[in-house]
Amino acid sequence: MKTVWKSVALLGALLAFGAARIPYEAGLERQLCDDGLFPPDLEIGTRERIGQTSSAVALGGLRTLVATFLNLRAFTFFTEQRWADVEDTFETMVDLAPRTRYYWETGSWHLAYNAASYYINDSKLPPLRRREAWRASIVKGRNFLERGIRNNPDDWRLQASLGFLLSDANKFHAFRDPDEALAASADAYRAAAATGRALGYVKRAELYALARVAGRESATLALARRLYAEGPQNRTPTLQMLLLVLEAHENPDMNVDARAIEIFGDAQKAYDALSNHWFRTRERFPVYGVAEGLRALEKQLAIPPEDSVLNQPPPPPRGPDDWFRE
Amino acid sequence: MIRVPMAESTPAVEIRNLSKEFRTSFRRKPLRAVDDVSIRIMPGEVYGLIGPNGSGKSTTMKALLGLVAPTSGSCAIFGKDSLKTDSRNEVGFLPENPYFYKHLTGAETLRFYGKLCGLYGKALAARVDELLDLVDLTNARDRRVGGYSKGMLQRIGLAQALIQEPRLVILDEPTAGVDPVGSREIRDLILKLRDRGITVFLCSHLLEQVQEVCDHVGIIFRGRMIREGRLEELISIEDQTDIVLKDASSELLEKITALVAATPGASVVRTGKPRTTLERLFLREIKEEKP
Amino acid sequence: MTAIQHQPLQGSHFRRILVIAANTFTQLVRMKVFYFMGIFAVIAIASNFFDLPQHEGPESVGSNVLRSIKSWSLGAMTLFSVVLSVVATALLLPKDVEDRTLYTILAKPVPRFDYLAGKLTGVLMLVFVSLLVMDLLMTAVLHIRTGMVVEQQMEMARAMGWPPEAIDSLRAETLANGPNLSLQGAVLAVFLRASIMASLALLISTFSTSTLFTTIVSFLVYFIGHFQADARDVWLHAGQEGEGVFARLAALLFSLILPDFQLFNVIDAVIEGQAMSLIALGKLTLVGLYYAVFFTFASWFIFADKEF
Repeated sequence: MKTVWKSVALLGALLAFGAARIPYEAGLERQLCDDGLFPPDLEIGTRERIGQTSSAVALGGLRTLVATFLNLRAFTFFTEQRWADVEDTFETMVDLAPRTRYYWETGSWHLAYNAASYYINDSKLPPLRRREAWRASIVKGRNFLERGIRNNPDDWRLQASLGFLLSDANKFHAFRDPDEALAASADAYRAAAATGRALGYVKRAELYALARVAGRESATLALARRLYAEGPQNRTPTLQMLLLVLEAHENPDMNVDARAIEIFGDAQKAYDALSNHWFRTRERFPVYGVAEGLRALEKQLAIPPEDSVLNQPPPPPRGPDDWFRE
Repeated sequence: MIRVPMAESTPAVEIRNLSKEFRTSFRRKPLRAVDDVSIRIMPGEVYGLIGPNGSGKSTTMKALLGLVAPTSGSCAIFGKDSLKTDSRNEVGFLPENPYFYKHLTGAETLRFYGKLCGLYGKALAARVDELLDLVDLTNARDRRVGGYSKGMLQRIGLAQALIQEPRLVILDEPTAGVDPVGSREIRDLILKLRDRGITVFLCSHLLEQVQEVCDHVGIIFRGRMIREGRLEELISIEDQTDIVLKDASSELLEKITALVAATPGASVVRTGKPRTTLERLFLREIKEEKP
Repeated sequence: MTAIQHQPLQGSHFRRILVIAANTFTQLVRMKVFYFMGIFAVIAIASNFFDLPQHEGPESVGSNVLRSIKSWSLGAMTLFSVVLSVVATALLLPKDVEDRTLYTILAKPVPRFDYLAGKLTGVLMLVFVSLLVMDLLMTAVLHIRTGMVVEQQMEMARAMGWPPEAIDSLRAETLANGPNLSLQGAVLAVFLRASIMASLALLISTFSTSTLFTTIVSFLVYFIGHFQADARDVWLHAGQEGEGVFARLAALLFSLILPDFQLFNVIDAVIEGQAMSLIALGKLTLVGLYYAVFFTFASWFIFADKEF
């Protein structure tokens, strides 16, 4: 009887002890979450995958080690071009180590760049399916990176990576609305700059993305003017060029050639910059006033019509429509 | 025999109506290992509890040491309840077939137990040396206990039991599994303890050894105390007398026989050469072998 | 005979516990568990040379090595401390009973609580010393390697003409992955978890019948304990998701009885370069102590009138 009594007493003590600590532990967990020491709630799907892949996951303190091993495995999958496995492995890795930027960046890069390029060249699939696989892969890469940002809101590099992906001329056709992608790219760069730790280029990158969103010209011009005024480190050829075309858009009567010479120094430099820009249409850069400017400058520099940039054939169009032709 | 003055009237061991039942399995009737046993040992006595294996000797000792709790009855050492830790201040225990921490040397073992009893520093070191000398293990003091022979283990066990100079020593089968030489040494040690006035409570199934060292004996069988009392009283045959003669001629023997025959009521039960025990023979022979 | 003073029984608990702890410590040391240290040293130093096949941008060059050193080292510490705590505790108690050494100890004026606490302290002392040695080794390796990585990055940044504030930001980021106080806090967290496990194994071994049983149950509790927090959430947030009464009760029981090991996932966050505040560490220490003390007293409760 004594043993029974003791067992009951012990069980009672255990329960009372548990009841006493639960609020404390819940509070501590909240604090750790706030401190960024605790991963945000795992999604249900994640748990299922963890159960399947490695029960060692439960070993706290070993999670990052397991992630290291998985990274090796992912690399093997990558070299063997097994993209579904690469994706699965990276999903598990980021669940194990959600604070490690490297895994988010690399995972997204494998999906949006490596896997996507692979589908461009994969001859085993019919073109329509290849195109769909290419598109889906890029979208997955984007989603992956966005999840990484949600997990690491103060990491400017992840934001910058997203901005880069969304403003890549080879990628934005994969999104249903390229304008939306470019606007999102600009937002990402802006968020990167807002952390205060980013390198200076992200501000200009925001401008480059924003300049390609239709209907945002005046806001973009304001940004371009601000950056231009900030100092010579910002006066890259692209930024100078964008300042010019946006001004031309705002004031269609502007004397483009005079303004170009003012910005670039002399007529020859202005002509070179404008001709380079003329061929960047594939990147969706605006070309307001560029044709007029070129013509006026050709007159000044006495360039014969047969040498005119405007009469050169445009660079061969390169885009999804070319890659996935029958 | 040197005896402690009997001024002390508190018994060294007081076991009153001790019963202990073990529950072997959930439903079966509990097993009664000790049944209404009472033992009282006064300071300075050497008490031997004898009985076959499984008769309840060890359980009685464990109850006395508080290792098992009595189902009914009580145990006390120098008046202190065995279930209280402080009752063990005055007692040393040598369990049956003891093993000690194999990783310790003999001296370390004694130091460990000494510290447990609250001994420290020089007093402890002196005590360790003294005990190693007493049990004749000075040469083996820095050897790991893992390499000790059975007899050495028993002796280091005895030394361990004596570490805090207890007034009572409890020995469970102190000579079990030990060869005759080792057994003799242990017996001598027990006699030394008795000479120092230490109360000894031992149990054994080797009756002869008990006979040699104990002055009080209890016989326990199937958990019950069958017989108890002073050894001499228990084993003397009241109506017989031994006469052992040395170098007696056959004429002398005849005369004695005749004298007995002439006395009414008396008779010669047996004459002959007294035999030594095999054990004594063995010990004498190997003593002669030794240089 | 020499004069010997008997220490009074009361008041020297601490000393007796230390005596038993020191004995247990020696016992484990002489059982050669420290051989593990050699393996650890090899792991810590080898992880330094792992040039894993991976893609690195110029600005993250070398940072992955730092993370790899940390995750290898803390992973090895976790394994070692948890396994040693459970196995040593589960082994030592039954061994004492089997060898009857327990009789000789309990036949001395040693309260049973002191015996239990001494055994536990001994195991924890060993874990602590081991972790300390491993920590020193890891910190040394990490310190050297961080210096190399920072130098490499600074050179790269200067070559690319980064502005000073960008260089500073990169340096701070890399140093956060080097040896720092948070990392020491993570090692302490590893020790705390080991103490919980050791005291839990002690509790189980007071009523278990075999070492194997104790070990298995302890590890089960360890694994399940990592999901305890989920059960607690089910209990706390039930209703919203509409779980049944039975599921809620089960979740409550589950979270009341099992320890919550998920709190110790902070170790992983620290490996990934997050900083742990002193307050968080202090609270975690309290949690560890709370469990260890409770389990020790519960063990004593069972052990106090156990018969041998």
